[in-house]
Amino acid sequence: MVNKQEIKSVQVLTPRLQKLKTDWENAAPQVYVDDSILFTQSWKETEGLPIDIRWAKALEKRLLECPLLIRDGELIVGSLTKFIRGNGTLCAMKPREILKMVESGKFDRKTSDISSTNIDAADLEALRADAEYWIEHMPKVSSVNASVEFDMGDDVFDLLFDRGMVFEGRGVRYEMDRGLFQNYSSYGGGVAQVSVKCVENGLNYVIDLCKRERERMLAEGDENSHGTAQFLRKYWLLKATIISCEAFIGYARRHAELARELAATESDPVRKAELLRIADACERVPAEPPRDFFEALQCVRLYHLVCWKESSDRPEVPIGRLDQLLYPYYERDKAAGKITAQEAAELLGALWLKIRECENLVTIPREQRAAPGSLLPNITLCGTDEQGNDLTNEVSWLVLEAMAQIKLSEPAIYVRYNPDMDAQFVLHALECNREFGGGNPAFLSDKLGTQRYLDRGIPLKDACNWNASGCLGYHLDSLEHMGGGHNISQLKVLELALHDGFDPRTQKQLGPHTGDVREFTSFEQVLEAYYKQLAYFVPILRKFKLLSWSTEIAEGPMSGLRVAMQYEDCIPAGLASREGGARYPEGRACWLGSRGLVDLADTMTAIKKLVFDEKKTTMAELMDACEKDWEGYETLHKLCINSPKYGNDDDYADEIYDEMSKKVPEIMQSEVDPLTGKKPMLFIGAAAGHVGIGKAIGALPNGRAAGSPTCDAACSVSPGCDVTGPTAAINSATNDLYAKEYAGYAMNMKFSKSLLNTPEKIEKLSWLVKAFMKRGGWHIQFNIHSREELLDAQAHPEEHKNLLVRVGGYSAYFIDLPPGLQAEIVNRTMHEII
Amino acid sequence: MSDVTGTIFNIQRYSIDDGPGIRTTVFVKGCPLRCPWCSNPESQSVAPQVLHRYTSCVKCGACAAACPNGAIAFTAEGGPAFDRAKCVACGECVRACLNDALKISGEVMTVEKVWKTVRKDEVYYETSGGGVTCSGGEILGQADFVAELFKKCRENGIHTCADTSGFGTAEALDKVLEYTDLVYFDLKHMDDARHRELMGVPRDVIVRNLETVAARGIPVTIRVPLIPEYNSGEENLRATAELVRAVAPNATVSVLPYHKYGASKYASVGMVYALDELRENTPEELERARAIFEEYGLKCEVSK
Repeated sequence: MVNKQEIKSVQVLTPRLQKLKTDWENAAPQVYVDDSILFTQSWKETEGLPIDIRWAKALEKRLLECPLLIRDGELIVGSLTKFIRGNGTLCAMKPREILKMVESGKFDRKTSDISSTNIDAADLEALRADAEYWIEHMPKVSSVNASVEFDMGDDVFDLLFDRGMVFEGRGVRYEMDRGLFQNYSSYGGGVAQVSVKCVENGLNYVIDLCKRERERMLAEGDENSHGTAQFLRKYWLLKATIISCEAFIGYARRHAELARELAATESDPVRKAELLRIADACERVPAEPPRDFFEALQCVRLYHLVCWKESSDRPEVPIGRLDQLLYPYYERDKAAGKITAQEAAELLGALWLKIRECENLVTIPREQRAAPGSLLPNITLCGTDEQGNDLTNEVSWLVLEAMAQIKLSEPAIYVRYNPDMDAQFVLHALECNREFGGGNPAFLSDKLGTQRYLDRGIPLKDACNWNASGCLGYHLDSLEHMGGGHNISQLKVLELALHDGFDPRTQKQLGPHTGDVREFTSFEQVLEAYYKQLAYFVPILRKFKLLSWSTEIAEGPMSGLRVAMQYEDCIPAGLASREGGARYPEGRACWLGSRGLVDLADTMTAIKKLVFDEKKTTMAELMDACEKDWEGYETLHKLCINSPKYGNDDDYADEIYDEMSKKVPEIMQSEVDPLTGKKPMLFIGAAAGHVGIGKAIGALPNGRAAGSPTCDAACSVSPGCDVTGPTAAINSATNDLYAKEYAGYAMNMKFSKSLLNTPEKIEKLSWLVKAFMKRGGWHIQFNIHSREELLDAQAHPEEHKNLLVRVGGYSAYFIDLPPGLQAEIVNRTMHEII
Repeated sequence: MSDVTGTIFNIQRYSIDDGPGIRTTVFVKGCPLRCPWCSNPESQSVAPQVLHRYTSCVKCGACAAACPNGAIAFTAEGGPAFDRAKCVACGECVRACLNDALKISGEVMTVEKVWKTVRKDEVYYETSGGGVTCSGGEILGQADFVAELFKKCRENGIHTCADTSGFGTAEALDKVLEYTDLVYFDLKHMDDARHRELMGVPRDVIVRNLETVAARGIPVTIRVPLIPEYNSGEENLRATAELVRAVAPNATVSVLPYHKYGASKYASVGMVYALDELRENTPEELERARAIFEEYGLKCEVSK
């Protein structure tokens, strides 16, 4: 039984953590170059060696030679850089874009779209030389573009994110700087995640497995792959895995040595003991299993850090099911009187600070960035086991309390909600959300997450072990490869359908001719034109994905550590997770994204109602009005704005949303994904990408103005269109099991604090969550603050440094977000007492 | 289903201040009382009205031009001025306004139509132990409608709450109570003369109706809006507590702090808010009120 009083009474921000937090807040962001230089040095040293060895040695060099530090008062160690707010990068991954930054002197970082980053003069020159080296030694031609052009012709480039914007996603670009690792569309080599099994068994165990497998191969060959390319590759891959694991252990032991050195000269006996405890822990983990809560936590930190370093330009390292990982240690320590809730809470706070410290530079043009303001180190709590038992534990409670008290934008927390979980825990989660403000934690349907994997034939024992990853995605811990999304912008497809396949912005015929809508005499013709356009683009995107994936496989980057993380399956297979070594192929390259469903449905509704049902306007007049961005058509604009909208429990609008919600995935999944042999997984996250996508799209018949953001998430209601309250919005979103096929089917809600100012009202909100899940919802999250507060933060950012908001699959500091996204968040409908 | 109609000015879903659980509150239009602190001035007249939101108005004059009854006088400086006697709330001006500055408050709706909306949130009522509340305006003024709606709710297992000023005929009250699970009953002033002066109606009808509610054994929550200088004096609170103890000793007393949220709405219906200068309650004042009710052995909470 969880002692709620004990949990609520913990002080996470102890004076030492408060000081570390303040130091971090006041530190100026700084570009960190040492790892980039070390990587390059290693690459020069390993010339001629097999590619897997070169990547592993490059990781080893960085881990064993990068600057190391332990700050005063730190309880959990492991810093990404030598600065408090260091922003890492690797020139090898994107040398031309880095050089551009060097020349402009402006270094953007992923966690803020507002402020740039300082750089020391000597580092600037070192970075310049590093970038120039790589530009000189880089293939002159992008292998992705070359392969695509060879197999598909060059017209397809007109559809990409930096051209016609029919396709969207950071890898679906023509002009991207493809470095040593040419295809970084998929989370820089796929998400590397803190592996629970590795933590629990220790990396010495994994190294031993690799060694024995290599010896076996030498002695008797490999029954499945004698003498094949796969056999020969496996021999080197296992060596690369050993090098990576040993480097990781060496990195931890460097921390142990440093801690001992510091302890030797430390005069304060209390701090001395802490440093020795750190030394003992880093001596032990990750090589051997942690012996207690503290070692487990320190181990998680090191895993997060090393996975981060081994993730090209876009580290997105989910931390996974932290409460499940930590609880056995916590329970044991607590029973033995070795730890109190207070001590555990402070340690969690210390971990939070270390996670938040990780930042990196971002070179992608501002308008094309996804998830600005975040690096997505998601934590997932609760869930059920194979027997359906709820797994909420005391660490789940503590994690939420730590999050609420420390108030850092990251990590984002996801609660796997199940209707049988302790109602008190749900109240605790909502209270923490209220304290935090910015949408943490989000709630995911435990049942639906597991069901989606069961439906794909994955056995329950594995299906129930999923966690949140990326922005609005999720995957199985250590059992599948999580590739990145390739998305179709439904609104661009719609705009093309309304213009007979012609794109008004780029002035090109991007889609097939599907008829002049001005001549259409029925609503069905409009629908048909849209479906034809969509059906035309889906196979092109699928093919594009296959070809860019093939170049990634050819390069085989960053495999050693990833093999270790999924050692049960990848070692016998002799393949990295992305190459088919993972137990299940589900997430591998097979997220097909679809964005803009709400605006799409609202547009179709307006056309049906105003043109064909009520005949208040004609297609010709409506198209003229959109082309003029409503100027001179104010009365018609008002009719369009007031036409029925999704999200109000209005049958007229919801029927069309229903049709779109079923027909769009049907088209997207009409053929299997050749990479998996199964129907593609669908992703519908829109948040944060929606501002950039919206800029490329003209006015639409739903009343939307040209260039404005699209609706913020898959099933949220368009800003200002939700006039009937949260239950109506939920009803519209859950009239059928829309979330069944879609990952990322998220509902963003914004509540004023007055709706949550008593325990009774919080309890009512918990029932809203319950009903949402009961009706088949997947993901719901709440921003809790006043519109005035947000407006004031826009006007006086310096006074609102800590204002946190939920964007999509993550929270961020409001003032760090780009202005377009800030405005969109202000405009999201606020549920309040009127 | 009958074709009984009511005049409704709002159906609020996810209503969390008007009874247990998640509720839908149906607000009927029209009230015989004229409490100066009323936070829903548009609820007083039973007839549908045009609301004019000054903050959204760009003074373009489109409304005046569209009005078929000459009910809108327009000047460039002052914007539209509504002659409420001529206005029939036909909605032409609302349609003409491009800035959402106008809307019609009040729609005559059948029970069937209201029920269609109400039933949409059944899953929330069921999950939360919530239900449907009828509020106003004054529900006893439209007792047939309210009773019919509540009957429909009860047939479908939905909890009902009647939120009333207590002023209405015994017959109307009986009709409503027949299908009511919980009563929210306002008590505003215990001095009859002062009651007539402030609210424009006598106190005794209200007291008699409270006795009826209590006699039927329906759970009741007494709501006391605590208006500084009007009814917040100790004498009045003690008189109120005495009455409740005598008539409905098991009732919970809910003290509602005074707020001005409704003040801005007065101008939009062509009325003047008389309490602009009035202060809000002090925390001590609210605490003291609670202490008084508790002194009489009553359960009491201060609403937030």
